[in-house]
Amino acid sequence: MSTQTSLKFRANAAKALQDDALRAAMRNAADTFGARRTSAISTLPDFEALREKASSVRMEVLNNLPRYVERFTANATKAGAVVHRAFDAAAAREIITGILKDRGVRTVAKGKSMVSEEIQLNEHLEQKGIEIVETDLGEYIIQLEHETPSHIIVPAIHKNRQQIGRLFADRLGVEYSEDPQVLTKIARKVLRDKFLQADAGMSGANFAIAESGSLVIFTNEGNGRMVTTMPPIHIAILSIEKMLPSLRNLPTFIRLLPRSATGQAITSYVSIITGSRKPGETTGAKELHIVLLDNGRSEILAGEFKEMLKCIRCGACMNVCPVYRAVGGHSYGWTYPGPMGIILTTLLTGLENSHPLVDASTLCGACNEVCPVKIPLVEFIIKQRAHRVTEGFSPARISFGMRLFKAVVKSPALFSLAERLASMFWPVMSAMSGKDVAGRLPKPSALSFRRRTT
Amino acid sequence: MRVQLFGTCLVDSLYPEVGEAALRIFKKFDVEAVFPKEQTCCGQPAYNAGYHKEARSAAEHFLSVFSGKDPIVTPSGSCAAMVKHGYPELFRDDPKLLKIAKSASGRVFELSQFLVHKLRAHKKKLSGTGKVTYHSSCHLTRMLGVREEPLLLLNALQGVEVVPLPDAARCCGFGGMFMAKLPEISIALATEKADAIISTGADTVIGGDCGCLMNIADGLKRRGSAVKVRHIAELIAEGL
Amino acid sequence: MSPIDRVSLFLENAGKAAAGTHRATAGKKLKDAVSNIVPKGAFVFCPRATALEKAAATSLDNLAPDYLSAQVTVEEVHAAIAETGSIVISSKRGKAVQASLLPSHHVAIVPRKKIFGTLNEFFTKFAASPPTNITVITGPSRTADIELNLVIGVHGPEKLDIIVV
Repeated sequence: MSTQTSLKFRANAAKALQDDALRAAMRNAADTFGARRTSAISTLPDFEALREKASSVRMEVLNNLPRYVERFTANATKAGAVVHRAFDAAAAREIITGILKDRGVRTVAKGKSMVSEEIQLNEHLEQKGIEIVETDLGEYIIQLEHETPSHIIVPAIHKNRQQIGRLFADRLGVEYSEDPQVLTKIARKVLRDKFLQADAGMSGANFAIAESGSLVIFTNEGNGRMVTTMPPIHIAILSIEKMLPSLRNLPTFIRLLPRSATGQAITSYVSIITGSRKPGETTGAKELHIVLLDNGRSEILAGEFKEMLKCIRCGACMNVCPVYRAVGGHSYGWTYPGPMGIILTTLLTGLENSHPLVDASTLCGACNEVCPVKIPLVEFIIKQRAHRVTEGFSPARISFGMRLFKAVVKSPALFSLAERLASMFWPVMSAMSGKDVAGRLPKPSALSFRRRTT
Repeated sequence: MRVQLFGTCLVDSLYPEVGEAALRIFKKFDVEAVFPKEQTCCGQPAYNAGYHKEARSAAEHFLSVFSGKDPIVTPSGSCAAMVKHGYPELFRDDPKLLKIAKSASGRVFELSQFLVHKLRAHKKKLSGTGKVTYHSSCHLTRMLGVREEPLLLLNALQGVEVVPLPDAARCCGFGGMFMAKLPEISIALATEKADAIISTGADTVIGGDCGCLMNIADGLKRRGSAVKVRHIAELIAEGL
Repeated sequence: MSPIDRVSLFLENAGKAAAGTHRATAGKKLKDAVSNIVPKGAFVFCPRATALEKAAATSLDNLAPDYLSAQVTVEEVHAAIAETGSIVISSKRGKAVQASLLPSHHVAIVPRKKIFGTLNEFFTKFAASPPTNITVITGPSRTADIELNLVIGVHGPEKLDIIVV
């Protein structure tokens, strides 16, 4: 699951900061999202109460997760679905490949799924000779470019229209255009054939409903509806924590999720799929397979970061994050970027891989303020920093400095002395720590405030 | 009324004039301000970096210095937030110290918060000069919930024109150790903040946290701007 | 909420989501509305499974045998929700949910009695045993994947017209 070398956040970020097109795209995205979200939230009578409610529903699910998963499995099975449990990424890939191979599937039309990114499903299926076509416009763009998503809702947010226009001209042999309208129509035309020809459809899911065994999928483009209803086989992959007790709980999340994500009052489509096609029906895949992925969730559930599993993947935390806005999603180096990404990457891949990432926050708290399910993101990042220290992934010079700090902070005399020494040796210290750090601080005052007052 | 003034490290060594301004304001409002000499650092740099043992040392010292029942006032939203929210978290498993931490948590105020809520300073006759804009520091705004107070004070200053800062509450990129660990991002955020400040046409940017003001000053310097950077206490004290 | 308020709220919210909104009485008015909305000569799929669909079909001269080849679908919906301006299509009674997806123009007939006030009222009704597919549709299909520019009409309909009867 984890790579041997740790993520190179600082180097990635420094490079991203030099990319003017990326920075302009990110600024546009953050500002647009910010304004749309604020205006959408303002149409709710009591946003705070709704967040509280959503948070408590998600907590209730987490407190009894095995029971909800069991209930969901039983009810989905009763409705005609085949439910598979995958403990890790390898198991999920194997199950999915098996289903597709057994049925001679050659082409899969796929809707957006971050979990499939997490388990690197596309690469794996391509190696097995199965063509997999991403059908969400943003996912389609990055698939053509052989990139990974840089945002969990808007995967190609880092690209501008000129880049997308050139990409379409190069890869699809169409005339160059930078008009989003024209580019979208091109994708509609190319992908329509794929929907009709695909042997199987694949999707993620926003929620799984325990009481009825239903999957709930929020989409805007219609591709999610296509891949779940047009091909004869539909495979849905989702992680186990996506449970909701009942469809009765869904309105709360319909009110919160699209508003938090894109600033919409509701997405164009909310599909509720309950099992496979039944006798006399003309809708629904003839075979529905649901792959429930654990991949570290049970471990998170048992620990102090349990509340992270409340996350409903709206992306609001990244949309308001000043660091994400400056450097974009690819700098984070794994599937999930932004504040939720820092925490999840650490939980799912381990500190030995992710430790540079826990610095990627100014702790400004903008994320905490917008999270629709009230995850204490800032507190969790601080906690992960504490684990970095106790697990020995914090740089030695900082640990040394902190030991000095501990010795000095309890002694006003030493503290005052340290301040005076800092002032005296400022030119040396400043030169040693470089223009990007101490070079940005003013020179300490020769006479400190404490010495002025006493 | 008597208060204990927590100067903070940055004021102590880099911006003593901010501490002096706070003392002048208290004097004007007949508040006896005590500056406990044994004070050092609240421990926030260690806490935010994950060095919680070290942060606890700092916090224990702070709690022993700022004992009693008097309000603790500090010209920093960030340090006040550390005492208010960080301390109870640090001592959650130590009932004895938790009780003391909670007492401090309930008594700590950021300066503008104290001036508005306890002294009603925004209703008094205050004056100043210049065209100012206000940067809403992250911890002051989001962790302490102090959003309107500094603006109430600025608007109460006769002779001062206040112009709104676009995205006033967006982080300036200081973030304590963040500025040293990821300087490239910190500088990018500071220069972007500087651009927003310059766009207002203000001659001075006001804030309530010296860390942020320091980073903003650097951003403005990088943009070659002459906009002055001042703590709200300085502006208020100047017109007394 | 009174039934009259529910209809206006539904139409207001559907309009906000970029759907075309119309009112008609059953019978001749519905036929007129449909023939005004559907472009002349368009190839139209209409299931003709309900009285309203049958009435609407009489004004259509170029009926398609299935939704796959059609340019327009005219159908009666399963329900509607005033709170969000949504229409609801379901797989009940052999209905093809895809008929509201593939043709580029979707014309939805909404009997006013089928309009629910809130999302809660709607979902409470189906919570225990939903049909294979329920699709809540709000406005035409859309994307903002290119520079967050809103483009109407991606894989689903480019145009949604709603007639409340």
